[in-house]
Amino acid sequence: MDEQPRGIYTPEDFTTERGITQGVTALYRQMRMLYGNGYFLNSTMTGTDEATWGKDADGNFKVLDMSNNGNIDSSTFPTSMVWGSVFPAINSANGVIQNGPLINVPESLISEARFFRSFYYFLLVQTYGGAPLDLGAGELAFNISPTTTSVRNTVSEVYTKAIFPDLIKAIDNLPASPRVTGGVTKNVARLYLSKAYLTYAWWLQNPNSIPTYPETSRTDPDGHNAQWYFQKAYDIALDGINNPGPYALQPTYYNLNVGSNDRNKECMLYADHTETSAYYNEGVIQASYGDGWSPNNFAAWMMTWNYPNIRSSTSSTSWSAVSSVQRAAAQDLGRPWTRMAPTIEVIKNTFADKTNDSRYDGTFVTTYRGNWDKAGMTQTTLYNANNLPVHPGDAILTFLNDDSVSPTYSTNAGNSNIGAGTLPGRADWVIAPNGISRVVYPGIWKIGTYRTDNGSGLGYPNPSLTRPFVAAKFSEFYFLAAEAAVKGASASVSARDLINVIRARAGKWVWSVSGNVAKVQDNSAAMIAATPNTITVDYILAERSREYYGEGYRWYDLVRTQKWEEYAATYKIAGTAYGDHNPQTVTRNIQKFHYLRPIPQGQLDAMEVSADIKAKYQNPGYN
Amino acid sequence: MNRFHFAKTNRAAIFFAMALLPSSLAYSQSKKDTVAKENKIEEVIVIGYGTQKKEAVTGSVSSLGGTALKEVPSANITDAIQGRLPGVDIGRTSTKPGAVQQIRIRGERSLTGSNDPLIVLDGIPFVGSLGDISPSDIKSLDILKDASATAIYGSRGANGVILITTNRGSKGQKARFTYNGYTGFQTIFSKYPVMDGPKFAKLRADAKMFTNAQDEFNDINTDWQDKYYGVGLMMNHDVGVTGGSEKGNYNFGVAYFQQNGVVPLQSYKRLSIRGSLDQEISKFIKVGFSTNSNFSINDFNGVSGAPMLGYSPLVSPYNADGSPKTVMYSAIDQTALQTRGILENLGDAYADRTNAFSSYNNLYGELKIPGVEGLKYRLNVGLTYRNSNSGSYTGTGILNVNPDTESSAGIGNSLTTQWVLENILSYDRTFGKHKISATALYSAEQTKYNSSYISARDVPIDAFQYFNLGHAQGEVTIDPNNQGYYKRGLMSFMGRALYQYDNRYMLTATVRSDGASVLAKGHQWHTYPAVSVGWNIANENFLKDSKYINLLKLRAGFGQTSNQSVGPYTTFGSLSTVPYNFGDEFVIGNYVNTASNARLGWEFSKTWNYGLDFTLLNRRISGTVEYYITKTEQLLLSKGLPASSGLGSVTENVGASENKGLEISLNGVIFDNPDGFSWEIGGNLYANRNKITSLASGTDRNEGNLWFVGHNINALYDYQYVGLWQHGDPYLSVLEPGGNVGMIKVLYTGGYNADGTPVRAIGPADRQIIDTNPDFMGGFNTRLAYKNIDLSVVGAFQKGGVLISTLYGSSGYLNRLSGRGNNVDVDYWTEENPNVRYPKPGGMMSGDNPKYGSTLGLFDGSYVKIRTITLGYNFNRNTLENLGVNSLRLYVTVQNPFVFGSPYYRESGMDPEPNSRGNENQAVNSYKSNQLVIGTNNPSTRNYMMGLNLTF
Repeated sequence: MDEQPRGIYTPEDFTTERGITQGVTALYRQMRMLYGNGYFLNSTMTGTDEATWGKDADGNFKVLDMSNNGNIDSSTFPTSMVWGSVFPAINSANGVIQNGPLINVPESLISEARFFRSFYYFLLVQTYGGAPLDLGAGELAFNISPTTTSVRNTVSEVYTKAIFPDLIKAIDNLPASPRVTGGVTKNVARLYLSKAYLTYAWWLQNPNSIPTYPETSRTDPDGHNAQWYFQKAYDIALDGINNPGPYALQPTYYNLNVGSNDRNKECMLYADHTETSAYYNEGVIQASYGDGWSPNNFAAWMMTWNYPNIRSSTSSTSWSAVSSVQRAAAQDLGRPWTRMAPTIEVIKNTFADKTNDSRYDGTFVTTYRGNWDKAGMTQTTLYNANNLPVHPGDAILTFLNDDSVSPTYSTNAGNSNIGAGTLPGRADWVIAPNGISRVVYPGIWKIGTYRTDNGSGLGYPNPSLTRPFVAAKFSEFYFLAAEAAVKGASASVSARDLINVIRARAGKWVWSVSGNVAKVQDNSAAMIAATPNTITVDYILAERSREYYGEGYRWYDLVRTQKWEEYAATYKIAGTAYGDHNPQTVTRNIQKFHYLRPIPQGQLDAMEVSADIKAKYQNPGYN
Repeated sequence: MNRFHFAKTNRAAIFFAMALLPSSLAYSQSKKDTVAKENKIEEVIVIGYGTQKKEAVTGSVSSLGGTALKEVPSANITDAIQGRLPGVDIGRTSTKPGAVQQIRIRGERSLTGSNDPLIVLDGIPFVGSLGDISPSDIKSLDILKDASATAIYGSRGANGVILITTNRGSKGQKARFTYNGYTGFQTIFSKYPVMDGPKFAKLRADAKMFTNAQDEFNDINTDWQDKYYGVGLMMNHDVGVTGGSEKGNYNFGVAYFQQNGVVPLQSYKRLSIRGSLDQEISKFIKVGFSTNSNFSINDFNGVSGAPMLGYSPLVSPYNADGSPKTVMYSAIDQTALQTRGILENLGDAYADRTNAFSSYNNLYGELKIPGVEGLKYRLNVGLTYRNSNSGSYTGTGILNVNPDTESSAGIGNSLTTQWVLENILSYDRTFGKHKISATALYSAEQTKYNSSYISARDVPIDAFQYFNLGHAQGEVTIDPNNQGYYKRGLMSFMGRALYQYDNRYMLTATVRSDGASVLAKGHQWHTYPAVSVGWNIANENFLKDSKYINLLKLRAGFGQTSNQSVGPYTTFGSLSTVPYNFGDEFVIGNYVNTASNARLGWEFSKTWNYGLDFTLLNRRISGTVEYYITKTEQLLLSKGLPASSGLGSVTENVGASENKGLEISLNGVIFDNPDGFSWEIGGNLYANRNKITSLASGTDRNEGNLWFVGHNINALYDYQYVGLWQHGDPYLSVLEPGGNVGMIKVLYTGGYNADGTPVRAIGPADRQIIDTNPDFMGGFNTRLAYKNIDLSVVGAFQKGGVLISTLYGSSGYLNRLSGRGNNVDVDYWTEENPNVRYPKPGGMMSGDNPKYGSTLGLFDGSYVKIRTITLGYNFNRNTLENLGVNSLRLYVTVQNPFVFGSPYYRESGMDPEPNSRGNENQAVNSYKSNQLVIGTNNPSTRNYMMGLNLTF
């Protein structure tokens, strides 16, 4: 009649040091549920000025675009992801923090849990507003009882009771250098405390009268004002810059993002993955398919369009079409899902400078190169635009940097099969920025597939990615401090000087992705010269987009600064048909209540409370 | 089970049980202990720890003889009893070779606990798979349905009990040799209804979402199902010898069953050996055993046609040079093709096999206690051993788009051992008109299970397959989530008394006390009573001599049963184990997933059962009518928790449910002339009304877990389809912001403003509770015989209920109407064709499917089905005797020939019975596991067989 579990761990395991260490490991692993998941990336980009839906988009993308393709509501999946994935981690962190001291687990390890508890609460509070601090066993207490009720704390309570105290303690107790590869440190905690102070300061200030929920007067329980918090944000960011620990900016933007240099010193926090173990990667490595689901990293597929549809010809005289850019496990290619697309404004305005600033080249794929030889095709020469010969490695399709010349486009898919244009004398198909459409657009390079096991073939383009997906970078200290300074923090280093650190680095080139060739160039001086004298929030937001495009920052940046409606109100892009190069202006309908995402229906459905209480649990505007 | 916890109440129960044992009753064996009406054919029914004449049974028992079972040649008994017994619903969970179906007796009681009935094989609870019992071995099958009948099995019998008695010899019988065999083939009942090339090309053009990839051409029209499904073969041979001596009897036999699936490579083979022996050692002592061992091989059970159903028909199966295409590009997908030709040519490079060996053994010793006539002590020992060993291998680059893919292999083992020990004291006596039968039992049992699974990559040569993973040069994985261990124990005390007066009045009283290791401390024991009475009206003086009424019996019973079918260790709560990598360092993490529950206790059911049995018109007509109510409290269930709790789920006692039902069965002999024409007809009809009556939380609904007071346990909660939006329909933009004409229109339940406009958009508040249970179900059978020829037909029917087809809904990803992959062949909305059921392709979507696409998967579940038609010929005894043959029968059978009256069949051409559990065989498994659905499992088959039964 007595039971002895021999095959599973029970919650009692959280009372041993080994158990607590494993509990902490799960806090890192839980990042995989969001970071690297393409639907989460979608929720942070689509509907902002960074992205819209692509041709093969499903409802998860179209709804988020807020352009009359359905409303975001409590059943919308991408907006439910944060809520759906952070609570087990928060609860495990509660367990570690509660039990650790009882068995003399070092505070440095417990502080990793403090970091993650605040990290996940910070995600919650930015996404939904107030969130419950009591999971069923009391505020911030480890819960193992099956609670089916919940009460949301206010935004200010979440910050002042959970996020700030945890992070302050974590800064004090975490090691300067990580315990494990990718482990959190003092400086990672500083980055998040600075960002949390900054976000909270904006919330206290509320310049555009964005509603909060649960309703609360925007007075700080700790008695400070917005200005105090902007100052703290600045001070801590500068602390982070001045005490970098093992972190540093990479010499170039390319170095930062190239797959062969993953886990470099600039990357402070990431959901890690591995190419050497399918089990520890939590996703197949060599299969024909990846799941396209958490805990896999498949974010890059979303903004990868169906480039294998590009055609060249085997004959110089008649058009005998073959696929010349085949699906391959390379950073510029990978698995195409065509679900998100950059807008024309991104290409033309955000990344207006494509020659000095290396970040356009280090963010997008603008040249698609022939790789048919790796697919076992024996032709050494194919014929492409203007029936001119091309060879493996040559540009087959190029997205032009500007609209100064007008390609001759086919009105339908044409010989290129993707509706691309030609320019006299050029062997590559071309598309100008104004001709970018929902079906053919520059793909995403920086988070693209990277493998070391391609051999001489195309490799494994279809399984999920084996790269870490980065959540935080050292460079952000500069942006946080600059933003706090712009918001009035008294600054020992000016916003302009801070931003110029980033811009100077952006001016340094070592390699041209589009040219697939070494390009050692230092345009730092030109970059700094182009920096305006007065840095504004708008300038910081533009610079942030250049730096972090495609990494999942944008929605949070626009919500923090309350600029979402302004930035994302309209965008331009051509339609979904090959050969369509007529940009349409699309208007979005973003209202103030949208600054909080809806509480997911699954939460409401599982609560055993009256309909009235459920209704009040939901954020206003979504009932 | 190493400690006993006797609460006070349980002591009382034990005392009560012991007190039932008559220790000082006088001895008076009477000759009257025989049948009153000599001309009656006595049917004996197994009732658990004993047998009873059918006439005397007071509980609800349905029986099926071995002959009836043999009328339907089948791999296992679930196929054979389908539609034959009222209140017994066989739900098809899979159509793979060797698959065993789900049995539900009088509906579902438990929400998420097990609803499987207890199987008792030759008196010992059976932990194995029904697939381990060869149907031709079975002498009879008795199903206990109400609490009074199942009470003696206590908690394990809460979902009904199936008693299987295998053939044994009889004393003094001459050795007899039997052979039963059949062989036949299977063809698919229908193809899955997916589009052909031209239709798919039009869909893709209409949806405007995807374009042809490099392998797709609109003038190609490939039917991938033709390249995949084939004809399956099945055969069964069963040889047995039975006999008896003066003091004993024996039965030994061997059976072989083989089935090759319609899906490439799949097959199931089973060899069984059985034996039983009963031997009287002295006047007082009798010993015996029965053993049933079998070995089965299940090949390529993991091969699934599901991906093939989504292959684009616009792709040719051949390369330009005529060789078979192995990788195809379609829309945005790159797929490694699986066709019959490709799969069958893989040889050593591809393996997937499960070997299972199981051995079920019962030993008993029986002691007639000298000096007390009718008092017997019996010790039953049951020993079960079940081992399963599986291996799989996929060679380098096999079935992968990358020809360099490392080979991979996996090997798994599981071992189940179980022992049962039963001490039974029984006492049977007749005193004049009083007949007493009392039984007391103490039993203990323990089940232990352990499984392991290892996988490895880069096996250097194909010949190694999975046989020596030590050679693997790549990663070896032992995933902790793929290893299993449990041990569970159950201890019971039981007493039962049967009393009969003058064959007219019958009383059965039972009390049982159970202790289960899997429940929380302090909640492990439960004691419950059951009592039933019967009145054999036909034996009353006023009817005794009636020629018209041969049997008329009224029965009434009340009893409690209970259920503890939760997994071991659920009271503790559990952690989820997750792997992670810190760079190149590989680590394991844990987080809390299920909550603990220190109060987890028994689930109880109270059942009231009323029955009327009758046999009329010189036994020409017989039947039973029964009505029952089962009220279940403290339902054991796994409950999904809100995310905000930080936990996934908990197993709790939550809520109460009720099952009410009516069962009618009727059998008639219309003509009865052994030398000429005879015609028998039988049918049964049953209806079960199931609903949740309360939830422990005090709320009347738990939307997250789909529990609604007043509705079916298997209710759905979804939008209600009312049609498609058409041009001119008002308020499209209000009710469906961004919606389009041609999209699915669902019921709006909100209010309207003064100007008539709806106050809000359609949203989660508009979801409706959808009850899924059928109105009624039943079966029918008829047998026509003329001289030596007989023809029998068995059928089944269902009226109402909701059939879920995941092909048409959104979980199968086969009705995305986007043109990415092939689609079920539906008549969809276009400007020219607006008045249809299915929405406009490429319209408003939710995820990858049309918005509200799940509503398209619901169909009326009604059907009438002919399951089998058998034509048989019995050779003349006289002819045979010259050959030394006792009996010889030849027959031909067709299974699953016809379906009528099924809206789903009309829509799809498919068999309207489910083929999968709710969480299987879909792209996104979307329903509860106990909700049976139609998914992309092996297709249903039509079987054609011929067989031979021979005895000499």
